Amino acid sequence: MTARFVLKKGLGSLATLAFVVVFNFFLFRVLSNDPVGTLFRGRNLNDAQKADLRREFGLDGSTLDQFWAYLKQTASLNFGRSYATNAPVVDEIWDKAGATVALVGVSTVLSTVFGILIGIIAAWRRRSAADYTSTTVTMAFYSMPDFWAGMLLLSLFGVTLGWFPIGGLQDPTSDATGIALLGDQIRHMFLPALTLTVAYLGEYALVMRASLLDTMREDYLTLARAKGLRDVKVRNRHAVPNALLPVVTLAAINFGFILSGAIAVETIFSWPGLGFATYEAIHGPDLPMLQGLFLFFSASVILFNFFADILYAYLDPRVRTG
Amino acid sequence: MACVKEWLWTFSQLPDGGTILNDRRLSLLGVRVKTIAAIAATAFAVAALVLGTGGSPPAAAQDGGKPILTIGLQQGIDNMNPIRGYTVAAFEAWNMQYATLTDKKAEDFSIAPGLAESWEGEGQEYTYTLRPDLKWSDGQPLTAEDVAWTINTSREEEWLNHFATTGNLTAEALSDTEVKVTSDVPDPKLPILDVYILPKHVYGEFDKKGRTKFDGQTSVGSGPFTLDEFKKGQFARFKSNPNYWQGQPALDEVIIRKYNNADAMVAALRSGEVDFVQSPPETQFLSLEEDDDFTTLKGAQGGFDELAINGGDGLKKPHPALEDIEVRKAIMHAIDKQTIVDRVLRGLAEPAQAMSVSADPKWTPEIPADQQFDFDLDKANKILDDAGYEDTDGDGVRVMPGGGEPLNFRYAVRSESEVSPQIAEFITGWLKEIGIDTTQKTYDDGQLGEVIGRGDYDMFVWGWTPYVDPDTQLGYFTCDQIASDPDDPLNYYNDANYCDPEYDKLYKQQKVELDPEKRVQIVHDMLTRFYSQAVYLPLYNQADLQAYRTDRFEGFQRQPAETGPVLFSNTSPSYATLKVPAATSSNTAAGGGGDDGGGSAGLIAGIVIALIAVGGVAWLVMRRRTADERE
Repeated sequence: MTARFVLKKGLGSLATLAFVVVFNFFLFRVLSNDPVGTLFRGRNLNDAQKADLRREFGLDGSTLDQFWAYLKQTASLNFGRSYATNAPVVDEIWDKAGATVALVGVSTVLSTVFGILIGIIAAWRRRSAADYTSTTVTMAFYSMPDFWAGMLLLSLFGVTLGWFPIGGLQDPTSDATGIALLGDQIRHMFLPALTLTVAYLGEYALVMRASLLDTMREDYLTLARAKGLRDVKVRNRHAVPNALLPVVTLAAINFGFILSGAIAVETIFSWPGLGFATYEAIHGPDLPMLQGLFLFFSASVILFNFFADILYAYLDPRVRTG
Repeated sequence: MACVKEWLWTFSQLPDGGTILNDRRLSLLGVRVKTIAAIAATAFAVAALVLGTGGSPPAAAQDGGKPILTIGLQQGIDNMNPIRGYTVAAFEAWNMQYATLTDKKAEDFSIAPGLAESWEGEGQEYTYTLRPDLKWSDGQPLTAEDVAWTINTSREEEWLNHFATTGNLTAEALSDTEVKVTSDVPDPKLPILDVYILPKHVYGEFDKKGRTKFDGQTSVGSGPFTLDEFKKGQFARFKSNPNYWQGQPALDEVIIRKYNNADAMVAALRSGEVDFVQSPPETQFLSLEEDDDFTTLKGAQGGFDELAINGGDGLKKPHPALEDIEVRKAIMHAIDKQTIVDRVLRGLAEPAQAMSVSADPKWTPEIPADQQFDFDLDKANKILDDAGYEDTDGDGVRVMPGGGEPLNFRYAVRSESEVSPQIAEFITGWLKEIGIDTTQKTYDDGQLGEVIGRGDYDMFVWGWTPYVDPDTQLGYFTCDQIASDPDDPLNYYNDANYCDPEYDKLYKQQKVELDPEKRVQIVHDMLTRFYSQAVYLPLYNQADLQAYRTDRFEGFQRQPAETGPVLFSNTSPSYATLKVPAATSSNTAAGGGGDDGGGSAGLIAGIVIALIAVGGVAWLVMRRRTADERE
């Protein structure tokens, strides 16, 4: 792989990011106009207090002035203070990013691994009972709305059986630290992670199955068999590696979306992550928070796409030469 | 395992292998697909077993039975700093953390001693005497200097939640326990002084800018509970304050927990994760109502929703027919409030008459029966007939007198309210029956706020929740609160867009009337007058729905008595009086009872799952072996 190829892709990514920075500003200003009015409705504020708040929020100048201030701020990696909580946006995002990365990251890894495995089994034993069962089940998982699956799991495991907590990241009544705290957090993460894994699983399984079925028609598999290789070896060394390409792309792209969280699941399980934070920030609107979040999300998607490009070129030589 | 090495070796020999995936990956994706699946299934089962049967103990019974009240809420505490926060959750937190100079009685909001044990004076000057030996929760003395500093600084710096009360006040500490408060203008609210007194030794350490940026996360307070741990967006935990002036509360801790989903919040109440929930969904509330384990209540605090008609004194005129009071009266007669309450709100609200301007019902007048806009479609039709609005072309829609524009009104629906679209269906249906057509348009609250400011609407349904003193809510409907600058259409409070100079005159009178009874009378006159002008029809008085576990705690106090909520009220007096019932305290200490069935059931189910998983592994392994033999 040439340095030139990487450089080209890298520059392309940077250009996209620059576009996002500009676009972000205008996107959210379409939403609405007076966060002070919305956030403080019904509060007993006089005109001077409201004007003070607008000035503090940087909403008093013209749009162009605000844009310029935003560019200068963003360039110095200062995203301002959240209107809603008056805390620096960077702190707010940092606070929530850990919860989201843990939850969505774990679920993505699990669903990728299991989805691929299920897809392989289903394709290789096409039209067997295993294929019909796994395809039906993964199809059902794939089409099941995640909030619904989450609600079912919650009422079964949380209320009826009482095995797992209903929501949150940790038990607020406990002073646990270290390993005990980690255990508590894993307990809290179990149901949301299971929901997400189930929700994502179907996509990987189905893509993997379809891709492997395509590969299975290739002549080189017949050749491998003709060489006298065992069925298992044909599958693992000849079919699967080639069939993995589309799944690798899918996984790399999905990884980029990890940071934007999973709004439905974060809502049901009261998971204090970035997805739900976005939902809350739209109400108001909390402009600095929205700008910060979307820049963060865009950056992660761009970054992972960049990785996907590089990885793909590494895996498939036709890409880098073509 | 010998075969593993063999695959790796063969793979590296493949002509296309090296460029596709390295062999380490393949061993993961190899024959052992099923082995991995089996291991994962076992891991899942073991995890479920270990994590699940650890079981979260019921909320009230942590740490060897220390009584902890856990409250479920859908809103977060935005900021612990009373200078900057604004959510209801934050006010509840400050009610716990900060005492006020004068308190309010739970029954009727009347003045009661707080940090001050007595006061004297009249008119614009009062001297308060603090209780002897008051201390902050950290042991520092709480003195008249803290009080004077809070009042004066909040006035100078126009603190968000203090300024409406302290804007006209000056305070002077005469001694450690005496503080003199002087008002620039006659202030009927005095001697009530209900602002949170902040610790000067914490908040006084900052300059003005630093104070507003401070996140308020200090454990120093003077209320029944003070902050112990705060996880934004998750929970806030408060510990009882040994130096509280009413004595240390019986509860050990209070936790306010945020749930992002209302159904999950109720699930948490049922599972014992929380003891109390604020605003459960209506359907859930009705089912909790029938369950003996839970106590439910509708806590009225003066909040209401109204049908507002564009009064025509704003930036833009409404439909010309609406400037005719007869048309507005006909509309008022066409609204069946009882049906809206029964059908849309499932009976969980009360039909309203005059506008509520306070959490205290004494300020709301009874509208005389002959002046009420009772639901009567015939009467409404007659009013319109008499006023000359006729349906000339027989299409069911009346037109302006003398022909011309049909009566088609722009009805703004709120997308952020679940009930708004349903109420709109009922109201527009009734209007149709009196020959009035409507065009519905949906807005989110931000947009609607601006639409109202610009005057680009004919009617909408929205609501308010007033303070205890009626001045603020009354002040919203004065002429100078109408939006007047098209470039600043959100700078208003008067969302009736209606200006009545007589109302303004009465408003100014009540603002300086120091005789409490006379002031009530003036307010009643204002509200009766406002009602009769038929621009603002209160539809129903809302209630905060609340539910809690019946067996856990006793000592909940409604504010006001009989009708108010037990928590999230104006001064939240329950926190100081809540305790674990004597009869069940041993039960609580042992684990709350009733909820721990999940523990043993969980263990059994966990074992079953583990067995199934182990069986599955064995089966797969066997199968693989025979498959290999078959091949």
